[in-house]
Amino acid sequence: MNIVNSIIKFGVLAVIILILAVLGYALFGDRDLTKTSPLIGKEAPGFTIKLYDGKRITSEELKGKTVLLNFWASWCTPCRQEAPALEEAWQKYKDMDVVFLGVNVWDDNENAMAYMKKFGGEYPHGIDPEEEIQVNFGIGGVPETYFIDETGKIRDKYNGPLTREIIDYYLERAMKPEEQTS
Amino acid sequence: MTLFGTKKYTGFVITAFLTLILFSASAFAAEKSIDDRVNEIAYHLMCPVCQGQSVAESNSNLANDMRMIIRKQLEEGKTNQEVLDYFVKRYGDSILSSPPTKGINWLLWIMPGVAVALGAVGIALFLHKSKRPEDEVEFIAAAPEKESEDEYLKKVDEELKKYE
Repeated sequence: MNIVNSIIKFGVLAVIILILAVLGYALFGDRDLTKTSPLIGKEAPGFTIKLYDGKRITSEELKGKTVLLNFWASWCTPCRQEAPALEEAWQKYKDMDVVFLGVNVWDDNENAMAYMKKFGGEYPHGIDPEEEIQVNFGIGGVPETYFIDETGKIRDKYNGPLTREIIDYYLERAMKPEEQTS
Repeated sequence: MTLFGTKKYTGFVITAFLTLILFSASAFAAEKSIDDRVNEIAYHLMCPVCQGQSVAESNSNLANDMRMIIRKQLEEGKTNQEVLDYFVKRYGDSILSSPPTKGINWLLWIMPGVAVALGAVGIALFLHKSKRPEDEVEFIAAAPEKESEDEYLKKVDEELKKYE
């Protein structure tokens, strides 16, 4: 009888601990919805960007090149922090079948233009006229950057301000065939 | 009450009338507006940049964009589930306000019920153990009195002997 009581008590304790663990995960677990992306490893959503020089560029046209797609806004301080690293990296990779594309989101034209004059660098920037690209890519804020390989597949996503080292790391990965990086 | 002189006919008319009302009510219920459907879906999605707010409740830029996309997809003829699947594909299952019933998420659905059931069993066991038969209570209540009375008399005898 004592053994049975002990087993019952132990069983109840185990169930209580399990319940608390599950509730704890539900309440306090890592619920950052944008740290990793379910789109990694999948084909990037199609897009058309209206560039600030008046031209348009589509995701189809970018196939065959490695793409660094960077989302930013003029009011975003970390975006300003990463701007020099992005421009420096662009100067290094621009002759290597790599495209840097800045996408302005949640902003107004005047502020965006002012930001670009100061922080935009020499690579192209634009907006999605349909204002869908940010949700299509599942972004949660700015700056967020996607690294897309030449087949159009998203290889990596990075949240937060980039540094030169981070850009080099993820871009080199995206430039290699997928088998070499898995 | 009778209509046209017969109770049978009256019953038939009343039944037909009630059936007509029921079908009309369900027809109205099925015709939800796009606004209602947008809100319904938005309440099922958590805002990715807000603390504990649904897309319906949040005023963030992203939530606004998401509501706009919900509306656009519904106007294109997508079903509610197709719209939800669109967001899950981009943000993962955790964008949903209710976890889907797959994988380990089953635990989140059954655990509250299990916890309540265990709690009820625990309370029942506690109440059962703490309940004692009445004569046992009387016996327990009676015994100390008799014992103390004997002890008291014994002490009295001992005190009296001192004076003998």
